[in-house]
Amino acid sequence: MSAAPPAPASVRPGTLEEAAGALRAAGAAGRTVSIGRDGGDVILSTAGLTRILEHEPGDLIVIVEAGIRLSALDAQLAAHGQLLALDPPGDPTVGACLAANLSGPRRHRYGAPRDLVLGATLVLADGTVASSGGKVVKNVAGFDLAKLVCGSEGRLGLIARVCLRLHPRPAAARTVVVPLQDSAHAACLASAVLRSTLAPSAVDVHWPGRLALLFEGSARAVADQVATAGALLGAVEAGSDVWSEAGGRQLAARGRVSFAPGELAALLDAWPRAVVRAGAGAAYVPDPVADARPAGVRVLEERIREQLDPQGVFA
Amino acid sequence: MSLPRDFVRAIEAALPGDAIIREREQLLTYECDGLTGHRALPSLVVLPQGTAQVQAVVRACAAHGIPFVARGAGTGLSGGALPVAGGIVISLTRMKRVLEIDWASGRIVVEPGITNLAVTEAVAAEGFYYAPDPSSQQVCTIGGNVAENSGGAHCLKHGVTVNHVTGLELVLPDGELVELGGKGLDPAGLDLLGVVVGSEGTLGIATRVTLRILRRPEAVLTLLAGFPTTEAAGRAVSDVIAAGILPSAIEMMDALTIEAAEAAVQANYPAGVGAVLIVELDGVAAQVEEDRARVEEICRACGAGELRAAADEADRARLWRGRKAAFAAMGRVSPSYYVQDGVVPRTKLPLILRRIAELEAEYGLRVGNVFHAGDGNLHPLVCYDHRVPGEFERAREVAEKILFACVEAGGSITGEHGVGVDKACSMPLLFGEHDLAAMNRVRRAFDPASLANPGKVLPTPRLCGEVPGPYRAHPIEVAGLGERL
Repeated sequence: MSAAPPAPASVRPGTLEEAAGALRAAGAAGRTVSIGRDGGDVILSTAGLTRILEHEPGDLIVIVEAGIRLSALDAQLAAHGQLLALDPPGDPTVGACLAANLSGPRRHRYGAPRDLVLGATLVLADGTVASSGGKVVKNVAGFDLAKLVCGSEGRLGLIARVCLRLHPRPAAARTVVVPLQDSAHAACLASAVLRSTLAPSAVDVHWPGRLALLFEGSARAVADQVATAGALLGAVEAGSDVWSEAGGRQLAARGRVSFAPGELAALLDAWPRAVVRAGAGAAYVPDPVADARPAGVRVLEERIREQLDPQGVFA
Repeated sequence: MSLPRDFVRAIEAALPGDAIIREREQLLTYECDGLTGHRALPSLVVLPQGTAQVQAVVRACAAHGIPFVARGAGTGLSGGALPVAGGIVISLTRMKRVLEIDWASGRIVVEPGITNLAVTEAVAAEGFYYAPDPSSQQVCTIGGNVAENSGGAHCLKHGVTVNHVTGLELVLPDGELVELGGKGLDPAGLDLLGVVVGSEGTLGIATRVTLRILRRPEAVLTLLAGFPTTEAAGRAVSDVIAAGILPSAIEMMDALTIEAAEAAVQANYPAGVGAVLIVELDGVAAQVEEDRARVEEICRACGAGELRAAADEADRARLWRGRKAAFAAMGRVSPSYYVQDGVVPRTKLPLILRRIAELEAEYGLRVGNVFHAGDGNLHPLVCYDHRVPGEFERAREVAEKILFACVEAGGSITGEHGVGVDKACSMPLLFGEHDLAAMNRVRRAFDPASLANPGKVLPTPRLCGEVPGPYRAHPIEVAGLGERL
């Protein structure tokens, strides 16, 4: 009879130094660490790293510990009429947004975590604390490790502190939708939007079903665009539940596809259900998808991982 | 320095004769980039055409341990394209085709030697444009933009190069080819594009670049506001940002640079003011109109006297011509000048402008201020006369002190010109030993033999004249002017 594997230990550092100590200890004991999920001998939680370290409204930046959840950060920012323009479903932590490259409908206008992160402090597997970037919106000094760790799934280092770019909270927001007949119809409408002078914050296809656009800005500018979208596409106004419903579907999705936006129809033909960022070329699909990375890219990623975590501490 | 004969044979086998430059007179063209104070003669320059030729050259370099420096138009201002002793220069200027325009995807695929402006020209007829617009856009290349993560006046709203590159074909320093990204966004895995763009040619050579193209906005409005002082103009910038308005560009020029630009291109800036702001708003018409009213109100509240909007496209082009010609125009008011590139948090603009004025008085040198005020990216032009002994050194000192003040204010040592050789030794002002070591590890993952543009970006003992160790003091620290962050 074989013994059951030992239950993973858990550690919840409250400071950068504690996190570094935990990683050093795990490395010395030859144990692997996973951050915020199963997989390692030790599970490191960032629930103790949730402080807002600096918010300078005039500079539209905020520096946070990466364990803070988006809702907690938003409460602080809302009081100053600002927002972090990341709206993935499920209220993840800032660190998870970077590590798993999470975004939501507003990705169309504001980009992904990699477009909003200005600097990051990482704790590497050997306990070294390394920072890159800074707290200004324009900065080309050194290699941008804060972007590099976006999508790293916690395997390059612990993302401990993050400096993020903020945006003004729009005065008004309205949603319009067009019911879709088929994939060709969807592609035709999406293309019409992208080639128009409309400036939507979101251009989603919720498949099967509808094209959904979000307009944000001053009340009059938003009203104008709602009217234009009505004339151009036959779009009708809808409630914000459109976005929460799509968010639920995105959260349940187990696969993600990156595609050329011009090939929207083919994407929709290939997937019976999908939440699609039509302008970005990113789709959330129900089933896991095969890793589309070329072999050369995987080799390169592995070399970077070996450099930053030669012992393979991060599981 | 002579190159190994086997290496030269490999190059000759890979490239046609007219793609290899070895005459001293011709090599001189490549001895520096826009940072002309640093010069080094390359042993050889190659002008490959096509990815296969680039790969063949890089493979030969890898096989013989020859360092190489990729180069576009050579307009860089930090010595990023400065040749390396005993190495070759790989010029990408013959690779300048548009390979594909995918209108439905909003993407264009180009070779690296195409100029920035040519990308916009290729898509303009259909109402599209390429957003990043460095002042040198008529000559600088996309490959150089990718290397430097170039910005430009309009990156305040629309982002810098890294926000617009969706795919790269990259020749790694061992000659292998990788495809990063593509036309779609959010590919699985690490954001390799994010670290390669802006790595100043140290991680490989881009041979094909996929870029986002944007639809021209419904409305564009360019406002010109004259202020009594740069400080008042700086306050207006902060107030506009704080009011939740996001212009596509906010540029500032002070009296000295206005004078120079007027003399050069007659941009029709107001006379007798201490500073002008060019504020550009773009987007849907109703939003632009409302923002315009608020920007005008803020400018007036901050003391703006003259305030006018560009009447038409020609007028708008004239306003921008003055701004974009400002660097070159300084030659009309000063025999020489030193260009600095620093960044401060936007709220610190009035502070840094006061500091610059103090330094002007202290050193008796004039400093022209022309910069991307909206994102706190300064370009002080320190004027000097190279014929006066010691003035260059004093100008350098002023430029260095401005940089230090930027760092002290929470900013950066470079916003868009890059680190190159110019600022590699200043990196410890911003980054500690562990930070630089982590960056170096990433570099080694791409380039274990250190052949791609060695000696750039990260400080080395050879370059910075100090022994590597647990702690390396920067000259500014030694002088007691500051301490490590």
